[in-house]
Amino acid sequence: MKHQLLFVEDGIAIIRLRGELDHHATQLIRDEISQSLYRGTLRAIIWNLKELHFMDSAGIGLILGRMRDFVPSNGQTVILHPSETMKKIFQYSGLGSYVWPTTEEETIAELGGIFNGQ
Amino acid sequence: MDNEMTLSFIAISENEGLARMVMTSFISSLDPTIDELAEFKTIVSEAVTNAIIHGYEEDGEGIVTIRAKRNGQTITMTISDEGRGIPNVEQAMEPLYTSKPERERSGMGFTIMESFSDHLSVWSEPQKGTSITFSKEFLPIQSNLVLGER
Repeated sequence: MKHQLLFVEDGIAIIRLRGELDHHATQLIRDEISQSLYRGTLRAIIWNLKELHFMDSAGIGLILGRMRDFVPSNGQTVILHPSETMKKIFQYSGLGSYVWPTTEEETIAELGGIFNGQ
Repeated sequence: MDNEMTLSFIAISENEGLARMVMTSFISSLDPTIDELAEFKTIVSEAVTNAIIHGYEEDGEGIVTIRAKRNGQTITMTISDEGRGIPNVEQAMEPLYTSKPERERSGMGFTIMESFSDHLSVWSEPQKGTSITFSKEFLPIQSNLVLGER
């Protein structure tokens, strides 16, 4: 399990998950992701799952956990490029509406537009 | 019976990946689609994770056993442990219920297993253990082609 954490455009974090995300993998990466996210003031987290080959309900726990941390600061969560099976898992878990059909760039532009201008 | 196998391993989280890998090999002759395989692996992963963390609390001593059969296009599998058991199976199967919220468990395991399998049953008795049995049919690729031609 590998992941990459990027910070772009003040306050937007992108987490690119790779490999297989199960209970074992979340135990290995949760603390690191949590601590990194606490470092800055965030207004959005983008989870990019393009390179993720497998995810079970542990992935839901990981994303929901970060969303809960995030509630006080009113942050937004976006999930990109889940597989068909992952999409179903998000739907069953009530996270279906956080899945966007956009690319990373489009998502950042969209979030920038929402938060900067109007 | 076309094929039959048993796999046993100790209750450490590393073995969640091992179970998925072995079971993927076991069903490979059925030529599953990408989605069928992903759903199957998810069921295996949820059931094995349940046994490791809820049955044995990852003690590294308890034994998780998978028994699987392939009969035609159908896989039937039982994942069992001899751990602490589930006091209330009905409650455990409710969406979003988790006995371990502090561990960031989503409580979606049983819902996902039920949704991705054709049939699922759970046996559990406190201090004796838990067995999850499920079956899943894999559509033969041939029949898809025939339907497409018509």
